[in-house]
Amino acid sequence: MPTSGCTDFENHLEKWMEGERSPQGQAHVRECARCRGLLDDLSLIAAAARDSAPAVMEPPPALWNSLRAQLEQEGLIHERAGVAPGWFPRMFGVLPRPALAGAYLAALIAVAFALSGPVNQRINKARWLRGSESAMLPVTAHIKSVEQRTNVPAPSAVPDLNPVATASLHENLAIVDKYIALCEKSVQEEPENEFARDYLVDAYQQKAELLAQLSERGGNGR
Amino acid sequence: MNTSQSVSSGITWKVAGLLAPGFLLLTATPALAHRLEQHFTVDPRPVITIHNPNGKVIVRAWAKPEVMVVANHASAKVEVNAELSGNRVDIMTRQLEDTISPDDLRADYEINVPEDAELQIHNDSGEVNVANVLGDMNVETVAAGVDLEDAAGYLTVKTVGGSFQCLRCAGRLEVSSISGALRLLSLRSYHVRAQTATGNILFDGEFLPNGLYRLKNYSGAIEVRFSPGDSFDLTATSLKGHVNNQAKLTPPTHPPHYLSKFSNTILGTLNAGRAKVELSSFDGTINVLKRD
Repeated sequence: MPTSGCTDFENHLEKWMEGERSPQGQAHVRECARCRGLLDDLSLIAAAARDSAPAVMEPPPALWNSLRAQLEQEGLIHERAGVAPGWFPRMFGVLPRPALAGAYLAALIAVAFALSGPVNQRINKARWLRGSESAMLPVTAHIKSVEQRTNVPAPSAVPDLNPVATASLHENLAIVDKYIALCEKSVQEEPENEFARDYLVDAYQQKAELLAQLSERGGNGR
Repeated sequence: MNTSQSVSSGITWKVAGLLAPGFLLLTATPALAHRLEQHFTVDPRPVITIHNPNGKVIVRAWAKPEVMVVANHASAKVEVNAELSGNRVDIMTRQLEDTISPDDLRADYEINVPEDAELQIHNDSGEVNVANVLGDMNVETVAAGVDLEDAAGYLTVKTVGGSFQCLRCAGRLEVSSISGALRLLSLRSYHVRAQTATGNILFDGEFLPNGLYRLKNYSGAIEVRFSPGDSFDLTATSLKGHVNNQAKLTPPTHPPHYLSKFSNTILGTLNAGRAKVELSSFDGTINVLKRD
């Protein structure tokens, strides 16, 4: 159960993640398994985000500036009047841990495909294939690394309170893995086939959700 | 003597016969060892949350402005809590010991709610059965099957391996599963989005004007039944499987540019094309069949 110490700690979480660690916060983390778990998740996400940085081409600053100017001119954004609350509490403060992991992976997939947008317009098969691969490689690599790091329990690795549900999760993870393999094969064979790519994205999202559920189940033994 | 003895013996057997069912009931009581019944008076549109790892959750609507929770569990290693907080009733099965067997975790619920109640149900395994509730509903399960009957509102259902059936549902329906089969029967929904990876999907309902019906799976069959008087625009695509269609469709004058050359696609309009029907499968067969 969250305590007032947890609330205080969460209020200073953004600073903690930026390296500012008060003695009270450190003492709380030592005592509170819940907040330690939350920090583990966040470290995992931060590490995955760092890893993904080289795969994502950073647009030149001039592009950002012209985009901002255009959006301001169209009244879609405004100059910030004051200091906005940190991004972290706004984005993740209300999300439970599995939602956090799932949301992260889903966002990763979405970003990867958004980056592949221009690829969709190309008609040259080789370029399609390169585009597909470059779009999907970071995603597949991250799914694999997160899968390893989230320490998904094997069917018999932890005492299981609800073997029916856990077996169902593992069984469905195997289904999704098979489905991913077949979709990847289709995308390899027909890189222009957007239909197959859509199915591949769906499969990755399903896998991300299953991993988040398995991770949570392994964490609390539910 | 003999007569009285035989009468006495007959009476004894009769008494024994009468007592036996009671004795059997007593010996059966461990299954109902822990029973909770609670009543909560609520305002209109209450929210009911149910969190149960394993067991049967049955929810029925009634005319009273009251929520009644009846819970049964066999083990003393779990407890069932039901609390009223504002206009929300939270119902939860709580584990009391660290080491507990799967059977100990089981709790069964029968819950009566006002018909405008909003439901949020999380039940990993077992089953979920809801009838006549007209408020919004969110149901999440892992292996538990979900059955809805005469439901309305915004219905979102998510299972991993559990099947789903919706009978005479209305409103907006979004359902997803990985291996569960989805059966949508006598539906009157204006927005249906149903997706499963390997399960079959059956849609046998009305196509309402301006309605949107999107059914998608990876493998397995998608079956849609229609009447000749229905009015919809159809796009049915299977990448590796077949598409069979019995509707007399008017082909589009300008086929859309996004049609994939890699898939089997049937598209066209039935009557005025008031609803939009999109069916897609990766490897499965799509059947658009005329209703008998």
